[in-house]
Amino acid sequence: MKQVAVAGRSRKTFTQWLKSRKGQQAIIILAFTFIPLLLLFTFTYLPFGEMVKFSFYKMKYVGKREFVGWDNYAALFQRKGVVSALKLSLYYMLGAVIQILLALYLATILSMKVRGGNLFKGLMFFPYLINGIAIGFIFKFFYTRGFVLDTVLQWCGFSLENLPFWLRDQSINNWSLVASSVWRYFGQNMVLFVGAIMSVDDTLYEAAELDGANKFQQFKYIILPSIKTIVTLNIILSITGSLSAFEAPYVITGGANGTGTYFVVMNTIAHTNQKVGLASAMAVFLLVIIFACTILQKVLFHFIFRNASADDESYAAKKRGRRAGKEKLV
Amino acid sequence: MDWKKFTRIGVLAIVGISTAACGTKEANEPAAAKEEVSRISYADIKLGETGKDISTSIKVLNQRTDMLKEDYPGTSWNTYVQRFHEMYPDIQVNIEGITDYAEDSLLRLQGGDWGDIMMIPEVDKSDLPAYFLSYGSQEEVGKETNYITRWLFDNQVYGIPSTAVGRGIVYNKKVFEQAGITTLPTSPEAFIEALSAIKEKTDAIPLYTNYAAGWTMVAWDDYISGTATGNAKYINQILLHTKAPFSDPGDGTHGYQVYKLLYDAVKLGLTEEDFTTTDWEGSKGMLNSGEIGCMVLGSWAYSQMQQAGPNPQDIGYMPFPLTVNGKQYSSASPDYNFGININSSPENQTAAMIFVKWMSEESGFSYHEGGLPIKAGDLEYPEVYQSFLENNVEFVEDEPALEGEEDLLNILNADSELMLFSGGNEKIQTLIEHAANGDMEFDAIMEEWNQRWSDAQEANGVEAK
Repeated sequence: MKQVAVAGRSRKTFTQWLKSRKGQQAIIILAFTFIPLLLLFTFTYLPFGEMVKFSFYKMKYVGKREFVGWDNYAALFQRKGVVSALKLSLYYMLGAVIQILLALYLATILSMKVRGGNLFKGLMFFPYLINGIAIGFIFKFFYTRGFVLDTVLQWCGFSLENLPFWLRDQSINNWSLVASSVWRYFGQNMVLFVGAIMSVDDTLYEAAELDGANKFQQFKYIILPSIKTIVTLNIILSITGSLSAFEAPYVITGGANGTGTYFVVMNTIAHTNQKVGLASAMAVFLLVIIFACTILQKVLFHFIFRNASADDESYAAKKRGRRAGKEKLV
Repeated sequence: MDWKKFTRIGVLAIVGISTAACGTKEANEPAAAKEEVSRISYADIKLGETGKDISTSIKVLNQRTDMLKEDYPGTSWNTYVQRFHEMYPDIQVNIEGITDYAEDSLLRLQGGDWGDIMMIPEVDKSDLPAYFLSYGSQEEVGKETNYITRWLFDNQVYGIPSTAVGRGIVYNKKVFEQAGITTLPTSPEAFIEALSAIKEKTDAIPLYTNYAAGWTMVAWDDYISGTATGNAKYINQILLHTKAPFSDPGDGTHGYQVYKLLYDAVKLGLTEEDFTTTDWEGSKGMLNSGEIGCMVLGSWAYSQMQQAGPNPQDIGYMPFPLTVNGKQYSSASPDYNFGININSSPENQTAAMIFVKWMSEESGFSYHEGGLPIKAGDLEYPEVYQSFLENNVEFVEDEPALEGEEDLLNILNADSELMLFSGGNEKIQTLIEHAANGDMEFDAIMEEWNQRWSDAQEANGVEAK
């Protein structure tokens, strides 16, 4: 009798609990987290899982699939195209380094008081706003024999005979492509750096100036340590970006003439040769490489900057700020 | 209270969507074992009589987005649909154009819900019955229509060609005249001589490769079949069992000679200076205005070159400069084929088949587009083939593969990655690079292709000699 009552009560309390404020909260929270998680699962993890599955099959887009185990991965390492495509990433990584140095330099200059600073920021950020495919077409004409670049160089006194074929000559065509991607992305890096530099406390500069520090010393001891998080982030993004460079070679040269990066090769294998399994294996392999690079970078930067975590940084900045304040008082 | 209802419905909806998402997977699998219902056959259709009582609307998926525009200089889709409508007022035809057809159509096909008629994309022939309706047996349909062997499987015809193209070279008559070329070259040597004369005597680029566009390079593959051998069995039967198909046969024919022509032209500097920045759209106008001597493309390119500038009368089309045993040939092959959805309702399938038959027999589509006659017995050749008829060039239609080997070409193509006739532009681009940089001899390149081809044959257990 008592037990029944308890059961009845607990049941009642459950529905009651559902109706209560707490219960409603729980339901809403569940429902709201369910939607983004479902979307994330359906559009990210499910297709990714499918792709990993595909990498173990010999298959086309349509037709029968045949399970082949690790064969695709074995074939991947035996192909000469794959290794040489990965080597091409080195061009883009070097480009990324130049790009970040350039962005850092310009950001530092622009964050000091420069006349027309905002105009320059806007001008240099502009390329990032243009669609990547459009940029491809722009540069295709830019590098065409006797077109923009050649004309400009001729104004500077070069003669057309001495100029190389920017896209045809295999010793420089990758540099031409890298240059177009540096041109596109350095503005974005710069704006991120400017934003980070803006958040540095102005009093630090004043204090440094009073101490007789010049601009370079200010950069080295104030700006760089304060924005190292964003520098690290930009480097990681640039390196992963250079491993997966696609738009420039795909649009400008179609990946021909020794400019086929990993993504372009993957695209050809998947869509022209219809070896979907092999292409999936390539994608998985690239993911592993990107993971490895990111981890390596983390370790390396940890070593260089010691503790580059955001908490430490803000703490250090506060401490520094306090010290600077004290010095001011003195 | 309302809140509770709302969340309950919300949760239900989410669960419903997610289970539905899991459920559709099975539906997407091709229904391979579809039972055969007796359906209408192509040969039985009498235009203007059959299916007059049908009232429905059908959707056609195709690659000719340019024909959807009202300013299309030829006959636009709208005109065709209106003319069809006069004969069949109760059948509505909706045309959908896809820009990147070769790739997107495969995705649409896989997706299932694509309409009633589509230009058949690159699928394996063994998959045809799962996706498309048969028009009837080869004998039956063959009496009505030419070039039906492209999508032949199990003696059933699955595709009716929209148009068919011959293979030659599109050139500028005026440039050839200025260079002093009075008779069209019929041998590779004479052709190279002609190109050299153009280089010497005019400002035009003798041969424009269109390297950068990529797909324009695949055109070269199309010349190694009938054009270079005069043999209708070559592609689907002989090539598959030839161990070294790219070796020099010694008599100035076969694929070797075709690719050698390109290699030599590039090596001798008879092509554009910087091949990496060629511009396909621009090249049409350049040929039209006489800045380019010639381009190696199928006859479909002829009308586009004419429309690209003020000098349509200067554009000519000549046979490929190869002579096999004293005679010139041109392979003739269908362009995209109309395929009918196996999953459409029987009524729509009948309507679709009527439309396809009307397109191939009544519309004059192939003639307007500069194609070879599709209807059997039709001898009306468009003017583009004038010099072909004058030189007595024989059109060769590829015979189908032997039974059981329908997919072998596809398999060898994919495994060797040579992708002959279907997107294999990479190998020809590499050929041009080697010719320009002088870092690999022509015979060595052919040797490499032979190796890839025979490796693929070995991997698939194909007998070859």
